Amino acid sequence: MRNPLSHLPNPACGGADHTLHRRKFLQGLAGAGALSLMSWGGLFSLPAFGQQAKREQKHCILLWLCGAPSQFETWDPKPGRPTGGPFRSIPTRLPGVHFGELMPLCASIADRFSVVRSMKTSQSEHLQGIDLLNRGALPRPPFIRPTLGAVLAQQLGHLENPIPNFVLFDPCPEGNEFKEFKAGNWAGWLGAQYGPVRVGGEFKIQDVVRQADITAEDHEARNALRRFLTRKYENERRSAAASSQNAVFERVKGLMSCADLFDLEKLPAKDRERYGPAAFGLHTLQARHLVENGAPFVMVANGMPWDSHVFHNEIYQMLVPELDRVIFNLVTDLETRGLLDKTLVIAMGEFGRTPWINQARGRDHYPNAWSLMLAGSGIKRGVVVGATDADGVDVAEKPFNEKNLFATIFTALGIDPYAAYDLPDLPTFHRVEDKAEPIREILA
Amino acid sequence: MADDQKKTNEAPLKMEKAREISLPAAVLALEVSSDGKTAFAACQDGGVFSVELEDGKPALLGKHESYASGVTLLPDGQTLISAGYDGVLQWHDLTTRKTTRKVKAHEFWSWNMDASADGLLVASCTGRYEAGGYKYEPAPERELSVKVFDAKTGELRHALSHVPPVQAVAFTLDGRHVAAGNLMGEIRVWDTVTGKQVAQWTTSDFTSWGIIKSHHYLGGIFAMMFNAAGDELYICGMGPMRDPMAGNGVQRWQRFAWRDQKKLDETHEGESGQGLMEALAFHPSQKFFVMAGRLFQGKWNLAFFDTATGRNLYALDAKHRITDALFTGDGSRLLLAKARGQERKNKDGVWPDYGLLEIHSVQMPV
Repeated sequence: MRNPLSHLPNPACGGADHTLHRRKFLQGLAGAGALSLMSWGGLFSLPAFGQQAKREQKHCILLWLCGAPSQFETWDPKPGRPTGGPFRSIPTRLPGVHFGELMPLCASIADRFSVVRSMKTSQSEHLQGIDLLNRGALPRPPFIRPTLGAVLAQQLGHLENPIPNFVLFDPCPEGNEFKEFKAGNWAGWLGAQYGPVRVGGEFKIQDVVRQADITAEDHEARNALRRFLTRKYENERRSAAASSQNAVFERVKGLMSCADLFDLEKLPAKDRERYGPAAFGLHTLQARHLVENGAPFVMVANGMPWDSHVFHNEIYQMLVPELDRVIFNLVTDLETRGLLDKTLVIAMGEFGRTPWINQARGRDHYPNAWSLMLAGSGIKRGVVVGATDADGVDVAEKPFNEKNLFATIFTALGIDPYAAYDLPDLPTFHRVEDKAEPIREILA
Repeated sequence: MADDQKKTNEAPLKMEKAREISLPAAVLALEVSSDGKTAFAACQDGGVFSVELEDGKPALLGKHESYASGVTLLPDGQTLISAGYDGVLQWHDLTTRKTTRKVKAHEFWSWNMDASADGLLVASCTGRYEAGGYKYEPAPERELSVKVFDAKTGELRHALSHVPPVQAVAFTLDGRHVAAGNLMGEIRVWDTVTGKQVAQWTTSDFTSWGIIKSHHYLGGIFAMMFNAAGDELYICGMGPMRDPMAGNGVQRWQRFAWRDQKKLDETHEGESGQGLMEALAFHPSQKFFVMAGRLFQGKWNLAFFDTATGRNLYALDAKHRITDALFTGDGSRLLLAKARGQERKNKDGVWPDYGLLEIHSVQMPV
């Protein structure tokens, strides 16, 4: 049978209709025969199918502000107070609500998202904080809870989806606590197939273009042979490694088919100008583009720039305006495209920063009272919940922790927050433990 | 000699702390009257204070809407000009103790200011670091970065272009030239009569591009001064770091023959530790100069250097970040502006002071 993709020099997707629905995918397989795996291309060509899948698909974009952003210069300014810093506050579209002066664009659309000003968590070191805010619970060794991205990849994604179900943008590969976290196990007990595909530094995914001297048929034939042998090995030896290898190859194959989605140059220059020119904004633009094309979960990180133990104000004068522009463009673009109601946008780090300025003109780690922002799917618009005291030292109203947050995220996306994981031979774990309440004030 | 002073070399001079004066917030800039009796402090709470050095009592002269970042006394001894992160220059009359003029100089912070020795001109520099490229290269300026005003009238004389953020500015002693340095280590010098740029060069020895935690730029030139002849420019900051968040670049000054853009000297190998240097001051004799700032690692955050040889003559750990330093006119005392770490509110619900003004007596070598 002729491979429907063989006419393409480098199989690539990029259209709006390549999101696969599992049942349709299986129907496609059954109809074409067990060996006709490359009928994927035919499935992609059904616009109605793609549209239906997109209608049902929920998405999440996590703007991971690693290093821990300061609440004072963003969502919870304290101008004129000893803790306030040099920046003023500005009014927003919400009566009586002010943001930091470096966020005028977000202030202009404050009626389209929610802000939580009363996060109160327990971890004050990066690695532990990153782990806590990515997994939604304290560690319970030796069991490894999957990260938010992995859970959403499982719940919102499809393993057959050529677009990775969990994409992590992070261009900063060098040593820091986030690197340590990244080297760990993201998917936990869900299995490696729900871990992230990491993209960063270069906008194109490397080494996913089929070599020119190999035809698509040859390429698939080689892959089928490899898959057959690995499966045989896996069955005979009960090898988890072989299973993971198969999963990795399937993922690479998916990436090869949609490498163009990761090519920044293929995005309109006007968009790049609005989000760019720097890495975080451009990666967020790509996250939007991936979501438009069916990606369930995209996490945009940028190293740990928010960790401002020195030069706090000198760094934030640059970082916060970039964040302001990025959130503004992302939220308004998703809304314009009719995707905001299906896409949950979260902007947060692992904790906040101290009210007091240290000797090195920096702010240090502070989990006692900090802020984050959510927009889109399942989230009310124009709500600011919780409050800190006059100097931002402590939460004055409605403290929320990581469990409340995760219950909110899952509920907003239509996922049962309290479902127990099906984990034979393991203790019972739930997506959110202790039946922690979601932040109802911001749930639509 | 104070216990916390550590000699790094044979000391050709003596220095002793005479007084320590507490201020509500970190002191970012200092000035002193010609008789050496009154100091003026620009503080992080926006306050501009006069401080009688004998009794140590600060009195508020004026207030900026954000950090007060610069202060300079005109030769008439009656007019004090301050600058702030509100982008405003304020003129204060020391007789009436009233703020007599406010000039909106910049849309963003005044990072630094200086007045010409003849009291005719005052300069202020600004600029917000905005991402201008994928690697967070600074974007071009939105407003002209260096402004020179008539110190008597407040009238704008020159608006000069640079690449923001421009963090340090200084006049030659004769007021004929003004120089400004930025985040990227780029220095520009202008003729103050014509407003024309007469020199431009870049030193890459003060700027970091983050490798470890974040991919952006940090550091740059934090203070500058000309020698008395006006032919050499001194600048300071700290050396490049892999992790800009660490603040652990080498303590560094450099000296340039600015007309040739030629580096003449810099901190000598093995004579400095790590930490941001943000203050430079010549002793009135011009035989020595002081560089000071923050100690990250090493033995000192205040050091005297021999102007002729560049050698570190004497250094000490002054315990807290030093943001500014200057000698009294007779050279007998050194004033230090300091910033301690802000402490938590005490049990009475009061935020403790975290600014310091220190007066040290200095005995120069015979």
